[in-house]
Amino acid sequence: MIDIEAGKEAASRTARLDVVFAALADPTRRAIIERLSRGEARVTEVAEPFDMSLNAVSKHIRVLEASGVVERHRRGRDHILSINARSLDEVDGWIEQTRRYWERRLDAMEHLLRELETNHKSEPKDHKHGSR
Amino acid sequence: MAHGDMTGSTVQIRRRMRATAEQIFDLWTQPELMVRWMSPYPGAVNCKASCDPHPGGAFSLFMSSEESNREVSGTYVEVDRPRKLVFTWIGPLTNNVDTLVTVEIHPRGHETDLVITHERLPTQAIIEGHTRGWGNILDHLADAVSKGF
Repeated sequence: MIDIEAGKEAASRTARLDVVFAALADPTRRAIIERLSRGEARVTEVAEPFDMSLNAVSKHIRVLEASGVVERHRRGRDHILSINARSLDEVDGWIEQTRRYWERRLDAMEHLLRELETNHKSEPKDHKHGSR
Repeated sequence: MAHGDMTGSTVQIRRRMRATAEQIFDLWTQPELMVRWMSPYPGAVNCKASCDPHPGGAFSLFMSSEESNREVSGTYVEVDRPRKLVFTWIGPLTNNVDTLVTVEIHPRGHETDLVITHERLPTQAIIEGHTRGWGNILDHLADAVSKGF
């Protein structure tokens, strides 16, 4: 049996992660996250640096809220935005796992290359490295 | 908190190897070589590989032990020996979601730089077919997975 069953288990996590990745796929939204990673801020503060209407920025903010990356709470009249670090931790988890996987595979690849080279050199019919 | 890579869905690994570009490329596309480095469980389990390295062709790496079976598979999108290889990748590491791997090979004198870019495609991009060559890939993937071993 192929790992489809294990996949089902992870399905809700995967679906969540995909929504987060879709949210992160836009440069404006990434800039918003970057701003909020320096600390919480009012919606108007977040919108200020962008050369677009408050309405346009608000749409991006809503996408980020829907993905769970950004949270909103009220303080008096102000709407305060902050990052939900847990949602980004999941992204980091995927990145970290994938990075570790390839680093280890490349270690194995280097090991194999050395092995192949050694076999190649000890091959009696080989004249390339011959004159030693 | 250090959420360094704000593109979120991309992992890039670079490494300089002591080998020629051709040697490195062949490690990715010859089944008898693939099984010797691609399996995360070296030696402990049976590992079988098959591949058909041309655009639209499938590859598969199947690892089995008494406890579990795992399969990584995908479809080649671009095959340009010895410089570039692009393929989809689906397996336990990706929670069985499609991802895209680009392997770039740059000769540097007697050494070779290997750059692996592993992207998790936003679902939207898959649906809308933004990625070049994406059209038939889902079909190919379904074929590759259903082939079984």
